[in-house]
Amino acid sequence: MTTRKTWLVVPALVAVAALAACSGGSGADGPTAAASAPSEVTGTVEFWHFFTDREADTIQSVVDDFEKANPGVTVHVKSGQDDQKMRQAISAGKAIDVGMSYSTDQVGPLCSSGDFVDLSSFIQRDKVDLTQIPDTVLGYTSYKDVRCTMPALADVYGLYYNKDLLSAAGYTEPPKTLDELSDMAVKLTTFNDDGSIKQLGFMPLLGYYENAEAHWAPAADAQWLNDDGTSAIGSSPGWNAILEWQKDLIDRLGGYKKLADFQAALGQEFSAENDFQTGKVAMNLDGEYRTAFIADQAPDLDYGTAPFPSAKGYEDSYGAGYITGNIMGIGKGAKNPEAAWALIKYLTMNADAQVKLANGIKNAPTMHDAIVSPDLEVSPQFKTFLDIFENPKSSTTPPSGIGAEYQTIFGTHTAKWQQGDVTDLPGMLTTVDDEIDAAVKLQAG
Amino acid sequence: MNRRSSSTLVWVADHAVFLALAVVFLAPFAFILLTSVMSPARAGTSFGWPTSFHWDNYAEVFHRLPMLKYTGNSFLYAGLATLFMLVSSVPAAYAMARIQFRGSGVLLVAVIGMMLLPPQVTSVPLYVMWSKLGLTGTLWPLILPNLLGDAFSIFLLRQFFLTIPKEYSEAARLDGCGELRTLLRVIVPMAKPGIAATAIFMFFASWNDYYGPLLYTSENESAWPVSYALAQFRGAHSVDWNLTMAATVIAMVPVLIIFFLAQRIFVQGVTLTGVKG
Amino acid sequence: MASTIQRRRNRAALGLLTPALLGMIVFFVFPLVVTVYLSFTAFDLSNPPRWNDFANWRFLVSGDPLIGTAIVNTLWFVAILVPARIVGALFVGWVLTRARRSSGALRTVYYLPALIPPVAATIAFVFVLNPATGPVNEMLGWFGIDGPGWFTDPAWAKPSLVLLGLWVLGDIMVIFLASLLDVPTEQYEAAELDGASTRQQFWFVTVPNMTPVLLFALITGIIGALQYFTEPAVASSTAMGKSMVGEGASGALGWPDQSTLTYGQLLYSKAFGANLMGYASAMAVVLFVVAALVMAVLLRRFRSFTPDVAS
Repeated sequence: MTTRKTWLVVPALVAVAALAACSGGSGADGPTAAASAPSEVTGTVEFWHFFTDREADTIQSVVDDFEKANPGVTVHVKSGQDDQKMRQAISAGKAIDVGMSYSTDQVGPLCSSGDFVDLSSFIQRDKVDLTQIPDTVLGYTSYKDVRCTMPALADVYGLYYNKDLLSAAGYTEPPKTLDELSDMAVKLTTFNDDGSIKQLGFMPLLGYYENAEAHWAPAADAQWLNDDGTSAIGSSPGWNAILEWQKDLIDRLGGYKKLADFQAALGQEFSAENDFQTGKVAMNLDGEYRTAFIADQAPDLDYGTAPFPSAKGYEDSYGAGYITGNIMGIGKGAKNPEAAWALIKYLTMNADAQVKLANGIKNAPTMHDAIVSPDLEVSPQFKTFLDIFENPKSSTTPPSGIGAEYQTIFGTHTAKWQQGDVTDLPGMLTTVDDEIDAAVKLQAG
Repeated sequence: MNRRSSSTLVWVADHAVFLALAVVFLAPFAFILLTSVMSPARAGTSFGWPTSFHWDNYAEVFHRLPMLKYTGNSFLYAGLATLFMLVSSVPAAYAMARIQFRGSGVLLVAVIGMMLLPPQVTSVPLYVMWSKLGLTGTLWPLILPNLLGDAFSIFLLRQFFLTIPKEYSEAARLDGCGELRTLLRVIVPMAKPGIAATAIFMFFASWNDYYGPLLYTSENESAWPVSYALAQFRGAHSVDWNLTMAATVIAMVPVLIIFFLAQRIFVQGVTLTGVKG
Repeated sequence: MASTIQRRRNRAALGLLTPALLGMIVFFVFPLVVTVYLSFTAFDLSNPPRWNDFANWRFLVSGDPLIGTAIVNTLWFVAILVPARIVGALFVGWVLTRARRSSGALRTVYYLPALIPPVAATIAFVFVLNPATGPVNEMLGWFGIDGPGWFTDPAWAKPSLVLLGLWVLGDIMVIFLASLLDVPTEQYEAAELDGASTRQQFWFVTVPNMTPVLLFALITGIIGALQYFTEPAVASSTAMGKSMVGEGASGALGWPDQSTLTYGQLLYSKAFGANLMGYASAMAVVLFVVAALVMAVLLRRFRSFTPDVAS
């Protein structure tokens, strides 16, 4: 009896094997826009995004507004979906109508793989005014002239400083150069009796909260990739300046080990135990969204914000910063592309929706009308980030066919560098170039 | 070492070691349990005896997470995987233990090879296969393969079947039973403890599995089994240690209960995996 | 050979074995062949694989900055974790042979940690060894010892995983115990008459009698170390204070500083984090070859204690 039952499974599995042998799928031929816009969109939309908790509630409230404006549409929201899961699901052919990612690094793979469909047919048909969107943002939302995503708010990075701690040390202004940052960091650092760090002026270790090569790059106009997609890291002098500054500060603060011990006891980044919010760290690099976390979790903290300081020789780029943003697109397996597009249009090109989102999760709006809207709540600390956002020298990590892999490769070397295991910095950067160039070839057919 | 140790000194030394080891093996459990009933402030500072007992931490975990759903998924995964494994692997193991056929030696080596194959080796093509079938995002890619046999179970069952004296199956054959009848009427009843042990192993392996659910269900929270969900808990919700420990206890309890209910069979089974045969 | 009986047996065996044989083809042979093919392609899951010659293999040999670290870490676990667990289990098993009345209860106690899900055991251990709030460093502090960073310190993360492996050594300990109890008493008595010391008895009586189980533990241990995944992955993501929201499972692998990045984890993150399925397939081929070699070398011995197929 057992054998007969299992025999039923056999044909099914043989079919499976045959199917899988011709692996790969439909490729880039996802849904496109209908010839004319439907007068009323209907149906359901499967919408995946990565936000959780408080921020997810804000997204939900704007989605509710959208449903009210389009009574025929029901949106199924799935929150807390990271990029890896979303891409995996789309590749596997899941019917995800709208996906939202926090990482512009995914734009390259998403557009070139066809996981997110080309939106140009929708944009042209509905005559969407792309001039509303800042140039940097337009740049990071498309890849090789394929516009497969639209920007839904941006993250902007700058320096947070604790006013009480700074004034106690005799400072009234935040640092404008990396050297000033170092001097202040040393002065603001205190130690326990056993020699461990009690309070830290500024943490120079990469990997601590938002400390990342990408977020530091604008300080010295450091470049990532050439136009042909190969690595520009070794030939960009900015990296040298940034890494040398970092090493110097690590040494002045007592060395890698001491800082690593301090880092080991850090509070969860998005909890009330965040080191900056508890005053354990006096100055910290972070995104504009931190203003909302502080308002929520540490309302009594007296703090200011400023652009991240610039390296020696790059003083004229002061005021710029790292920009990245949330992106939205239509999955290639979308069942209801018209309603999906309507939702994307509402979240990305409707000034009221953008303002509501921005006020809720304290991100920078990505369309001009929303940035200048009187309804946008702008605290002095938040204003800094809007200024950085509109600074023409602000930059982002360029999209690549290998996603964030080039940053990962660089990161493995900077990890050794900050531990003091590297003596030949130019040599290290050349190796980085070689490795990235080899990785780029992996996705070349 | 099997000598009768008459001196009291040896007795004391022995028992000191017994006790020390027991403390070492049990202490983490004590820490987990104590932390799971601490207040967040207590658990967040340094370790010590709880100042007050917060049994509501357990309720809080169920409130924050769909623990019942996760547990249900774990039972679905482990239960069906075990059932399917038995249906497919018992006959195969019997054939390998009791029927002389051509290629049986090669087959045994192949089964051992499969049993030891790192799962990462075949992850990519299998993931593609299941995605073509639209089954990623569910636990089925982890359950269905058991219909086609599980190498470790086949190996283990074979070891058990070998311990049954051959005379029984020979006698059944002489009575004119076919192989299938011999298996079901003679061997299975005699090998019940071994089959039970194999089933428990399969159940535990599925219950404890992390890599499989990570690969196939990570995108779909409603399909998460409890051990995978537990791993997501602290990272995704930045929760306190006390709640993390309460969730950890919840994930442990079912296996511990099953273990204590079937301890004898279980230990006997473990022993037979490695030894003899 | 080709008697009717034999043919009938072959047919009966085939009938009983069909599902398992199919399983072998679908879940073993077929994926293995596909993996080899994919290792010569650029493949991102969304689009059909494109042939890219030896680009993956070149990257594997001379491009990937992480693979060296991953291999070294994996070999470290093979060289340290596996023997540590075997020696530890042998010791605990031997201790249990000395317990008479309480042996059942003690065995359960020592075995218990091996039972709980690895994810739960790992999270619990990360908590116990947490440098700031965990009980171990707290207690070390009573003796004036400044405890290490354990899972948060690149130098201590791997040893911490070994401690975890020792805590859950019950699985092999139970096997060893059964084997220890199986050693014929007469052999010890004979050795004692010959004037052998306890240590000599251990090496010349106990160990030879236990060769099959020791070998079994060695093989499964090495293969387990080659695919070591769950414990380091969960330890990294639990120990790092950074929130993982939006970043995906691959973001935390190897933390801190790739000190716990194993081959299996790197393979997973290349395939499902970076979507470099072709490259991951090349890594999978290497893993398979290594695992097969280990098996081939050790199976020669293995077969000697697995009696021939029933006759």
